[in-house]
Amino acid sequence: MRKVIVAKPQNNSLVAQLVSLYSTLKNSRGGEVLEFDLSKIDWAFPLLILPLSAYISVTKSAYQADGNVQSYLNAIKFPDGINSVSAFQKGIQLQKNYIPISVLLKDKGSDRERLESLFSSMIHEVLDSVPGTSNAVYYPITELVTNIFEHSKQKRGYIFGQFYPKKNYLDICIADQGRGFATTYKQELGLDISDSEAIVKVMKGKSTKPSKERGYGVRTSKRVVCEVMNGEFVILSGSSALVSAKTSERLVSLPSFSWQGVIVAYRIPKPEKAIDISRYLE
Amino acid sequence: MKKIKRVTIKLADLIAPIIGSRDLVDSLEKSVSKSKAYLVKLDFKNIKFVSRSAAHALLIMKEDFLRKAPSSKKDISFVNVNEDIETMLRTVAANRALPKKKEIEFEPKKIDINSLAACKI
Repeated sequence: MRKVIVAKPQNNSLVAQLVSLYSTLKNSRGGEVLEFDLSKIDWAFPLLILPLSAYISVTKSAYQADGNVQSYLNAIKFPDGINSVSAFQKGIQLQKNYIPISVLLKDKGSDRERLESLFSSMIHEVLDSVPGTSNAVYYPITELVTNIFEHSKQKRGYIFGQFYPKKNYLDICIADQGRGFATTYKQELGLDISDSEAIVKVMKGKSTKPSKERGYGVRTSKRVVCEVMNGEFVILSGSSALVSAKTSERLVSLPSFSWQGVIVAYRIPKPEKAIDISRYLE
Repeated sequence: MKKIKRVTIKLADLIAPIIGSRDLVDSLEKSVSKSKAYLVKLDFKNIKFVSRSAAHALLIMKEDFLRKAPSSKKDISFVNVNEDIETMLRTVAANRALPKKKEIEFEPKKIDINSLAACKI
C-alpha cells in the first residue's frame, strides 16, 4: 500500500485547501488503495477531509493521524461518517461544536431527505442568522445534493460542513464518486468533451435532460454563494476545477490528477445584514 | 349528489422539512397515485424550504395528474405554503411557461494549479 503524505495548506484559503487536495491525490491511479498520512497537517478542513472520506470508503484505503487532528477526525466520524438521523443527533449531542460527516444513501429515500434536512438546519443554526440566510444556506445544499442522485449514477453522496467561529466563516463540501461531468455529457448526449469544457457547460446551464427548464442548479448555487453571500466556490470534476469568487472565475487544470465524480466546496462568511436570493432564482 | 373524495398529504411527515431532491417527488407521486381521492391537498405546513429542482418536479406532477385519464386524474393543490416557497414555485412556474432562451456567457480565465498556487490569495 503506497503511503501518501497529506500536504499542509499554505494558508486558510479555499484555494490553498484545493492545492493540498491536489497534492495529496495527484499521481494516484483510479481506485488505488493508499495509506494517507495526516500527521503533517495541524487542521483538517472540509475540502480535504470529505473527498478523503469518500475515497477511503470506496477504495478501503487507510489513514493515520495524531494529536488534535485525530481528535477532530473522531469527532466528525471520519472516515465512515453517519447515515441516519439518529446517529447524527447522537453525534451532535456528544460533540456540540462539530457536525459529523453525513453519508446520504439514495435508497433510504425520505430518511435520507430528513438527514439532509437536519444537516442543513444545523448549518443554518450555527450561522446564527440574519433574515434570508436560511434560503441562501438551503439553496446550494439541496441543489448540489439532488444533482448527485440525478446524474452521478451513484447511490451515495457525502456532505460535511464546519463553522469557524473565530474566523466567522463556514466551509461546506459536497462530494460524490460517480461518473463526473464529462462522462455524463458523453453518456447522455454523446458529447465528447474534456473535463474543463464540461464544467463550462455546467456553468452555462447545459442540462443533460431534454427540458429547457433545467440546468440552473449549479449555476445559481454558485451565484448565491459568490454574489449574494460574498463567498468563494470551487467545483471539481475529473482533472479540472472552477474556482469562483464574486469578481473572478478561474478554470484550473489539474495535471496528473483525476477525481472520479464531482466535488463542490464553498466558503461563506457569516452574514451581517439581511439577504434576499429571490432575484437570483430562475 | 356524488361526494368528491379529498385527501391531504402532509409533506413534512411524508418527506422532510426541507424538500430538495427530485426523486422524493417521484415517491410522492406514487402516494398520490395510490390515493382514491380526486382532490389532493399537498400540505406544506412545517416545510422550511423547497429546492428549485423539487419545485419543478412538483409543478410537473401537478400538471401530469390533470392530464391523466378520468379514472386516475387528480386535482392537486398546494396549501400552507410559506412566502419563500411560494416565490420559488411562482418563479419556476414562470420559467416553465416562458423558458429563457438567451445563451449564458461564461468565459473563465484558464490557469493551471501551480500558477494558482503561486497566486497570493
